[in-house]
Amino acid sequence: MVTREDVENIALLSKLFVPEEELDALTKDMQEIIDFADTINNASESGESFDNINNLSNVFREDEVVESYKSEEILKNAPEQAEQHFLVRNRE
Amino acid sequence: MKYELVAGFETHIELSTKTKIFCSCTTEFGGEPNTHCCPVCIGLPGTLPKLNRQVVRYGIMAGLATHGEIAEISKMDRKNYCYPDLSKAYQISQLYAPLSIGGYVELSSGKKIRLHHIHIEEDAGKLIHQHGDTYVDYNRGGVPLIEIVSEPDIRSIDEAREYVEKLQQLMRYIGISDCKMQEGSMRCDVNISVRPQGSETLGTRTEIKNMNSINNIAKAMEYEYDRQCDLLESGAKVVQETLRYDDATGTTSSMRSKEDAHDYRYFRDPDLVTINVSGEEVEEIKKSLPELPAEKCRRYVEELGLPEKDAQLLTKYRNISEYFDKAIEGIKAPKTAANFIIGQIFSRLETEADKERFDIKTTPQQLNKLIKLLDEGKIRNNLAKATLEKMLDEGKDVTEYISESDMAGLDENTLNDLCKQAVESSPKAVEDYKNGKEKAIKAMVGFVMKNSRGKADPALAEEKIKGLIK
Repeated sequence: MVTREDVENIALLSKLFVPEEELDALTKDMQEIIDFADTINNASESGESFDNINNLSNVFREDEVVESYKSEEILKNAPEQAEQHFLVRNRE
Repeated sequence: MKYELVAGFETHIELSTKTKIFCSCTTEFGGEPNTHCCPVCIGLPGTLPKLNRQVVRYGIMAGLATHGEIAEISKMDRKNYCYPDLSKAYQISQLYAPLSIGGYVELSSGKKIRLHHIHIEEDAGKLIHQHGDTYVDYNRGGVPLIEIVSEPDIRSIDEAREYVEKLQQLMRYIGISDCKMQEGSMRCDVNISVRPQGSETLGTRTEIKNMNSINNIAKAMEYEYDRQCDLLESGAKVVQETLRYDDATGTTSSMRSKEDAHDYRYFRDPDLVTINVSGEEVEEIKKSLPELPAEKCRRYVEELGLPEKDAQLLTKYRNISEYFDKAIEGIKAPKTAANFIIGQIFSRLETEADKERFDIKTTPQQLNKLIKLLDEGKIRNNLAKATLEKMLDEGKDVTEYISESDMAGLDENTLNDLCKQAVESSPKAVEDYKNGKEKAIKAMVGFVMKNSRGKADPALAEEKIKGLIK
């Protein structure tokens, strides 16, 4: 059962601000999302354990360096940047 | 009341792979900000992480070196928290199925500090707090780490110090990390609590972060031990919290407030498949490991007959022990080699870093030749010592300094002549000796040694001089 407190707590952990008047609607939405995801628990078990859809394991990369991106490319989507860094403003 | 200290460590060690854990960007230290990055390690949507094979291998090596059990199946999990050092708002780590389980690190007292597990994970980016804002550099983001989690088995600051030193030594020996605390490639968090002496239950613990040297760890633990004891003495309670150690003031202060309490909502990372490690693979890696310092130290004491203290000094760094191993090949008295290294060679290496590099001009093969001459009785110890000094200065072979005639020793007639000269040239010493001043003989032996360029046998010379005086 999802409570208003759960939604408040998750919002806090995610650093999201949720207005008081939206809390009830969000609580209802989240309950519906979890109910939907729960469908999988009702599926009958085949008895065979499976880890991922293709039952893959040990997918590795070799330890070989490939050139990185230019910092201009890396910073392209940054909302704010300064001195070649991502800039995070203190909102407090 | 007397209180006992109880501590456990979480140690992060940066692995010396060439590339990051989930992408092919370089792991090189430093560099211009945000130049060792790609869409994977800055967490852009739609990118897919792919695990670096070498990270798994290094993790297994760390597990084996600490006597852990390598998990046949291990998995990657997401640890969620929202902070600018993480580009994705989650760190890919291992919680439910780590790579190595259990194990221990043995202290010199024989006490074993048990390990809970070792897992692999990615490092976070670097934050620079300036003018109230935060500047983020993701070069370090995605660099592979292992985290070594110990049980709360540590009972003193000395044990804590040795535990960290031993871990550092082990990881450097097997070559998976340079473990430089100052550069952040080894970082320790300490969980610490106190309890009345004799009590079996654990007290409330605090966690101290942000210590970049072994000395700071010791200082922070000392401060925190006193603080917790004082709290309990005054009837107050220790609050479970995360503390930051401030090097400048030597104190700890609260880092996170209550509303930020840990709630990482770990879950399996669906982007990464299971890691399967076969028994054969573990065996193969085990065989590839070098002889570990503890085994080496035991071997030096038991098989070579070295004093424990010498064995410790020689095995502290892998470079030194490998040099020593080569220098004593085919040598009858390994102690001589140990003395040369610990005495003459160490006196030229000022800092610990110098010792670790062990960058000296004389090769172990050259030292080996010199010791062989001693072994075979061709030269005497004082000549060997003086020669080693020259060898260390110039890096040349022993044959450059000692000729065949030097090695031939001193023939009987020459020795007799020298002894005669010694007696004749020092009537005062003869007089003193006759008057019961035993030491006076040394001056005459010194004369013989000097004039034979160290080739004479001092004991034999003394005997002959005594004979002449009578």
